[in-house]
Amino acid sequence: MKGKQILSAIAAVLALLLAAAMPALAEEKNDIVIGGSMPLTGPFAFAGIQFNRGLRDYMEWLNEQGGIEGRKVRYVAEDTGYEPDQSVAVFRRITSRENVSFYFGDSTAFHQTINRELDRRDIMMTGASFASELNDTERYPLQFMHGPDYSEQVAILLRHIAEEDPGARVAFIYSDTEFGRDPISAGRETAEELGLEVAARIVTPPGAADISSAALELRRARPDYAIFHGYILAPIPDFIRRARQMGMETRFMGTYYSMDQSIIDEMGEAADGFMGVMPYRYFYEEDAGESELMRAIHERNDEYQTIYYIQAWVAGSMMAQIARETLARGEPLKGSRMRASMEGLDEVDTGGVIGVPVRFRGNSLPVGRIYRADVEAGRMVPVSDWIDLD
Amino acid sequence: MDWLFFIEVSLAGIGAGSLYALTAIAFVLIYKATRVINLAIGEMLMVGAYLFFALGAGWSLSWWLAIPMALVGGGLLGMLLERGVIRPMLGENPISVFMVTIGLGSILVGTVELIWTSAPRSLPGFMPDEAIFIGEAFIAPNTFWGFVIAAVVIALFLLLFRFWRGGVALRATASDQGAAWAMGINVPAVYSLAWGLAGMIAAGSGILLGAMSGVSPEMAMFGLTVLVVVIVGGLDSVFGALLAGLLIGWMESVVGVYLGGEYEHLVTFILLMLVLLVRPWGLFGSHEIERL
Amino acid sequence: MRIGSAKESYIADEALFATRTQWVWFALLLASLVLFPFVSNLYWLYLACLVSINVISATGLNILTGFTGQVSLGHAAFMGVGAYTVAWLDNNAQTPFYLNLLAAAGVTTAVGLVAGLPSLRVKGLYLAIATIAASFILQFVFINWESVTRGTRGINIEPPEIMGIVLDNPDTFYWMVVPIMVVMVLLAANLFRTRVGRAFIAIRDRDISASVLGISLPAYKLMSFAIASFYAGIAGGLYAYFMGSINPESFPLLMSIFFLAAIIVGGMGTILGGILGAIFMTLTPEVLRYGVDLASPFIDEPGAVLSPVRTIVFGALIVGFLLFEPHGLAEIWRRIRRFFHLWPFRT
Repeated sequence: MKGKQILSAIAAVLALLLAAAMPALAEEKNDIVIGGSMPLTGPFAFAGIQFNRGLRDYMEWLNEQGGIEGRKVRYVAEDTGYEPDQSVAVFRRITSRENVSFYFGDSTAFHQTINRELDRRDIMMTGASFASELNDTERYPLQFMHGPDYSEQVAILLRHIAEEDPGARVAFIYSDTEFGRDPISAGRETAEELGLEVAARIVTPPGAADISSAALELRRARPDYAIFHGYILAPIPDFIRRARQMGMETRFMGTYYSMDQSIIDEMGEAADGFMGVMPYRYFYEEDAGESELMRAIHERNDEYQTIYYIQAWVAGSMMAQIARETLARGEPLKGSRMRASMEGLDEVDTGGVIGVPVRFRGNSLPVGRIYRADVEAGRMVPVSDWIDLD
Repeated sequence: MDWLFFIEVSLAGIGAGSLYALTAIAFVLIYKATRVINLAIGEMLMVGAYLFFALGAGWSLSWWLAIPMALVGGGLLGMLLERGVIRPMLGENPISVFMVTIGLGSILVGTVELIWTSAPRSLPGFMPDEAIFIGEAFIAPNTFWGFVIAAVVIALFLLLFRFWRGGVALRATASDQGAAWAMGINVPAVYSLAWGLAGMIAAGSGILLGAMSGVSPEMAMFGLTVLVVVIVGGLDSVFGALLAGLLIGWMESVVGVYLGGEYEHLVTFILLMLVLLVRPWGLFGSHEIERL
Repeated sequence: MRIGSAKESYIADEALFATRTQWVWFALLLASLVLFPFVSNLYWLYLACLVSINVISATGLNILTGFTGQVSLGHAAFMGVGAYTVAWLDNNAQTPFYLNLLAAAGVTTAVGLVAGLPSLRVKGLYLAIATIAASFILQFVFINWESVTRGTRGINIEPPEIMGIVLDNPDTFYWMVVPIMVVMVLLAANLFRTRVGRAFIAIRDRDISASVLGISLPAYKLMSFAIASFYAGIAGGLYAYFMGSINPESFPLLMSIFFLAAIIVGGMGTILGGILGAIFMTLTPEVLRYGVDLASPFIDEPGAVLSPVRTIVFGALIVGFLLFEPHGLAEIWRRIRRFFHLWPFRT
């Protein structure tokens, strides 16, 4: 027995030594470091894994192009499981080891919590959250979004409705979470401004709840259009199926995170006619060849890449542009300096992934196009021009 | 007052309530036989749904093969939990056992996430799809068939409980363990039976719930509402579980529609508080339970 | 080897640190706490601050659950009350941070008293379930009382300031949080030298006998809730200052389960248990991360494995400790100490 104890003690000590001896390699001091708190596991993993790949691939491509003013970029990220305290922990770990210039965050809660740290460390941040809350240049000066915020997304949807079908009845279906509630009050105001009637405001409790009663509410309201927000997949297909069963002809729409082809595929037949707002081109679009980034993405990938992968490339491209601009002015890559460059940009370089020239409005890019799902063709088809809210 | 709409909403609620009732029966079964408050019931339900997903979608078995297999799997899980974790804790402080079930729940959720990730999935369909109308009132087919299946299972269970030898043994052990031993009933076997049966029923609930709204690790949250149902109905009353399940399902549906979805869970928990303060043993539970 | 220590007065018998050896160890502990910031990096300091906040909260829960036997699954919600109080005061009043913390503790104590009312009616598991209900109701308030809590948008909190130094970094925050933690833990240890503490223990062990002995059950049960809520309020307030931003999803039921697990793992009913449990549970994810890193050559997606593995380990810790070591780490510690005290004799 004693021998066993001694052996296990030795094993424990060895394991500890091994762990401690993991060398922190002396990295290039000149590299531009982009850190990331990535949701590689947890409820957001389907997107998180793509963000991670996208940023990694973009950085590789960028380095192949010569980096930024000859300096290499390095991407350092860790998993957070989509939990804000893990995201914070990862941020602190990475920033204590490296000299980080840019950061990519995973959730609205993280973006809010880390804001003070961001200011202190003078780091520029973007991320997966398009919360309207963050679109505030005074409270979040070092954060930017690489697309429209949720309120703007809803506004783009509403504009389209108002153009196609003036005076239509619109219902909002959203989840009782921070994500879900974010754009709703602004959405109602916009709807009224555009002369649309808000037929119903249906809230679903978070978790796998049975949506029968909510579906009945929807039927009672009989809206012409229903906008989903705060969901990724469930319970959208359920709602759509029930509506069809109940004989409703409502047209359903969603916001950015519901718009990936894989999600549409999961919905099956129910998805036909489903519309939504997308700020970026899809991987398979014909005129994608006009875009430098899309060409690079196609070169590296044969199979379909999700919108989240493409989104990461856009984010990367914007970070690169801001960095170049800052260096061109002779300033260091510090958040406050980069903010100044950002505001000085005439046009944001999205590598052509957003089909029209865009400028920052506050912290976001309020541009998008309406796409509709064509289940037979297995694609999302654009049904509107690029709508710019500016 | 739009009565038709009210009836539709009520029917939807009762449909959802049937699932609560079914899961609550599994819970009450465990409590009656082994005096354990099993907070992992939601997770057992989730595992049942995922088993069906794995068999039906992963291995592409047809549903009449996959469902029984998933049910058996759920039953085996229940028996495994009982033998492996609950049996050693026999005689311990009931609060410790309660905490153990919370720990078990966590392990189950983590394992499911590890194998299938947290992304929500759809279950392969096995219920007829056309809309059902009772008079002029609309019921979603999933809800209707879910209710029917749940009702059949509950009726089956009640019959078993009443007439089958195993059911009699269960009731005997539940009412007086010492006397049951004395009468030659193999009490440890009854424990395993109770947990196994409860596991099967929970798995069945999981499959029905998954058919209605898809599967995801978040399904386990269902267990919290089931907890409210059994408290309101009475921890050791099967009939109470039934009634309370339907009642709470109905209430959540009506509140959700007329007050707003945010209030659904709030009202349920306020009801719980009221019951705990006014009548802790629930509608039909035995009065002595308070002496826990 | 210490054979025995004879006491000559009741006061000596009650003392927290009975022998000089114990005082020396305590002094060493304090010294190491003081030296720690000078030998560790920012990330370790961040962990240390988090651990301290968790120790305060776990000690509070231990008073309620470990010492008085009232299982509470609403502890995280109480921390939330403290955090939101601090957040509101920080944004709307110009009061200094220590007043904010005291106000947070006060408000949380009041809420705790109300939430503790079911304990007068039910006990054991029913009480636990009532606390779950209380936590959901509080969560609802956090989300919907928008005028105070800004609902789901969350609130930002400015870091506290002492004499002109802004505590916005773990290495400065450490100097505020650790002394508070030491004081709170000592207060808790002292509590169990008093009549009140003994009454709590009596209620846990056999409340009917306790009431026969003249201990007023309602008064002491509510007092226990009040004291635990006080601790939760302070911990929550510190958490708000530390994190800088809170929202309703910051204090989920899972966090209450975390604290309950912490005191089970540490050892319910001992002050040391609360401390050890909080340290262990806060640092386990870090150790897991190292483990997953070490195993990464053998798994193909190490990043994707960490979060579910953490959940499994969390549950396994609860089940494992309850099955094999119900008195927790504190008992393991006592066994080790006994070994060294009685060496070379066998224990």
